Amino acid sequence: MFRQKTVADKVRENLLGIIVLLILALLPMRANDFLLDTLVRTYIFVILAVTLDFFSGTTGYLNLGHSFIFGLSAYLTGILYVYLKIPTEIAILGAGLLGTFGSLALLLPSLRVRGVYFAILSLLYPIIFIGIVTTQPFSLYLGGEGGLRIKQLFLDIARKLPPTERLAFLHNAYYYLSFILMVASFIVLYKLAYNEFGFKLRSIGQDEELSEAAGVNTTNMKIKGFLLSAVFASYAGALYAGMRPPITVDFVNTGSILLPTLTAMIVGGAGTIIGPAIAAFLLTLLYQYLWGLVGLWRTVAYMIILLAFVLIRPQGIFFDIYLRIRRLVDKVIG
Amino acid sequence: MIMLKVESVTKRFGGLVALRNVSMSVNKNEIFGIIGPNGSGKTTLFNVISGVLRPDEGKVIFEDKDITHMRPSDRVKLGIARTFQTIRVFPYMPVYWNVMVTASSVYSDSRIAKARVSWALTITGLLGEAGELAGKLTPYKLKMLEFARCLVANPKLIMLDEPFAGLSPEEIERLIGIILKLRENGLTFIIIEHKLKYLMRIADRIMALSLGEKMAEGKPDEVARHPKVIEAYIGVT
Amino acid sequence: MEFTLIKFIFIFGVLHSFIYLSFALGFSLVFGVAKIPYLSYAGLYTLSAYLMHLLLTKAGVPTIISAILSIGAVGGLSIVIGDYIVKPSMKNPLSIFISTMTVSYIVEEVFRIKMGLTPVALPALRGVITIAGVPVAQQWIAVLIIGAVSSFLVLIYLSKTATGKSIRAVAESWYESMIIGINPYKVFRVTMLIAGLLAGVASISLSPLKAVVPSMGWSPLFVSFAIVILGGMGSIKGTVVASFIYGFVEQFVTWKYGGAFASIVPLALIVLVLIFRPTGLFGEKE
Repeated sequence: MFRQKTVADKVRENLLGIIVLLILALLPMRANDFLLDTLVRTYIFVILAVTLDFFSGTTGYLNLGHSFIFGLSAYLTGILYVYLKIPTEIAILGAGLLGTFGSLALLLPSLRVRGVYFAILSLLYPIIFIGIVTTQPFSLYLGGEGGLRIKQLFLDIARKLPPTERLAFLHNAYYYLSFILMVASFIVLYKLAYNEFGFKLRSIGQDEELSEAAGVNTTNMKIKGFLLSAVFASYAGALYAGMRPPITVDFVNTGSILLPTLTAMIVGGAGTIIGPAIAAFLLTLLYQYLWGLVGLWRTVAYMIILLAFVLIRPQGIFFDIYLRIRRLVDKVIG
Repeated sequence: MIMLKVESVTKRFGGLVALRNVSMSVNKNEIFGIIGPNGSGKTTLFNVISGVLRPDEGKVIFEDKDITHMRPSDRVKLGIARTFQTIRVFPYMPVYWNVMVTASSVYSDSRIAKARVSWALTITGLLGEAGELAGKLTPYKLKMLEFARCLVANPKLIMLDEPFAGLSPEEIERLIGIILKLRENGLTFIIIEHKLKYLMRIADRIMALSLGEKMAEGKPDEVARHPKVIEAYIGVT
Repeated sequence: MEFTLIKFIFIFGVLHSFIYLSFALGFSLVFGVAKIPYLSYAGLYTLSAYLMHLLLTKAGVPTIISAILSIGAVGGLSIVIGDYIVKPSMKNPLSIFISTMTVSYIVEEVFRIKMGLTPVALPALRGVITIAGVPVAQQWIAVLIIGAVSSFLVLIYLSKTATGKSIRAVAESWYESMIIGINPYKVFRVTMLIAGLLAGVASISLSPLKAVVPSMGWSPLFVSFAIVILGGMGSIKGTVVASFIYGFVEQFVTWKYGGAFASIVPLALIVLVLIFRPTGLFGEKE
């Protein structure tokens, strides 16, 4: 029963995922720029969904300020570039790290009280952040409405290439960077979520008092879980700032960032990691499709979907669908 | 050798005094019983000893260490385990993980943790249900799961809160057998129970609480005959 | 600190405190009875201001009637939210969080699409009067009176009427109030109605003075939350005291340091309270 798993076993188990990854990795050779662009945004969205699910989907501590983490490192990237004259590439690396620890400001005040407070407190952060950035005197230094302008990522490398290749280079570079970050965050968080670490987080979500009585240092776990979630979300924000300047308050906007992420988490299946990842892809498709259907009102349609799922099927659907497909595939492969 | 000492513990909730100046000590390898009518503070005492609550006055000393302000998870690592009056498990996690959560918190080596989990599930007869979601178990198996969670951390002291509630006589006898076996292996027990018939049989000493105060303490038959104890129980019915 | 500054802070502190109190009371009641933070409050606040605007400009309804209709509509909507969104998920507080919050976002988004981001103006009482040398728009006097009167009415209602007392009983314990014959679900609906009405009243009176934009509801929501946390969950007395503390602190920061810093006040206050005294000033056991 306990023979070691061979490489062949592992490949067979994860065949579906490997095929999908290969297709996505080879896409730039065939795809047009618009598709690559959309996928970059989708990958960032997947990272947001998976990171939110990893912490909030397991512990039940609803991080309604997830966009704060994303936006904080985006703005830090801008600040490092504009005021400390650090080149974009390095600024992203630094901002991701600084942002991770800065986002602890979300969690620390509510460690002594119940999770309900955390949810409300976290809701405040993005909105107040936007309030500060758009008001004097801060708006002067942080770009106000127009946003912080920085040199786009890899722009100087691109400039060294012949003009016809420049755009393609940037598109491909951005594609692969976000793809790698997405795959890295998914694999790390997925593995952790389904191992001892993840189950300790889940125990907090199911009965925090029991979890503590069962030997889990809940404060410790919450901080670690939060930091893991924050580090990937932070780097996603810093990377996105490098790829798509200028850095404006749209990076922090709860309506455009948190709500879709929350929808992906709920519709995908909270705590499953893979459900929200799938949901992020499919919901992006749906979002594009909705434009043709209802135009501007698609944002409202999106929110109604979230509301409907929370009221009617809070456990989501995509994870269940994934399990069924998985079982089918397993039967076929034998 | 004294395993646990509770010194003059008082606990208030707003205007209500749940525990008033309660002191007790439990010897190593002893089975110590706690009885008393509902609302007498038994579970509150458990909460203070296990760390879920902090006393307003008094101290809790475990193996000569003052643990009054230690967080519950650290007390588990010292060797104190407890069950709950309303059986508490992690309902949406498999049985295996219910126990593994504790094991991985206490043992840093995952191989040891896994071995301990296997052992704990075997002793409690849950190995077959290892993959089942805990919420689906029968009441007896749920109790066994709580027990497994306690045992996996290799505790020195186990506190059971009404372990015999809701069990058939056969199941109670089985449980008693396990408790006595574990005591032979060196464990110390504190047991809150209402089913006095069974408690009296296995307890070495018993303490009776009423309205947060200790009324009597001593050998089971002494306490059973104590006038205040009789009054508290008859008075309640 | 110069005397003029003190005068400004004091006068605007009072003006703000009463209306904040009336609004915070609604939030506090829902928190006490339903045990959840009423995140739809932001949406109700925004909705009533826009409704009033639409009734006035598109339907030509006279001001007073528009106000009454808007406030009533929002009160009714609050009951609907209570019945269809809050009550069904009462066992799962996280679901209620997300669903009530989404309602507010839907309101914001609908008005963002339909009305755009340009601030809309509601008619205010013209004219400026001077109090102790400080110029104050007449609308503020209306705000003061409305805020004080609604707060007063709610407080009297809670302490003197039968329903009011049952609200306090249910906030204490659903189970025990059922035992003594109160129907907690009916009380719940009444509470939701009152909260909705208070949101409408506060919005209609304050909006002429502040900008009517789709995102206007969040700030009052956070102010209420800060007040209820500071005062202590479940304590009406706490809400009253905290409203005034909040009002004065906010005005102090606004007049001395400017608006940007004033927006940090609710957050800073909540963080400080949670770190140093999580139960708030008059809060009960945790």
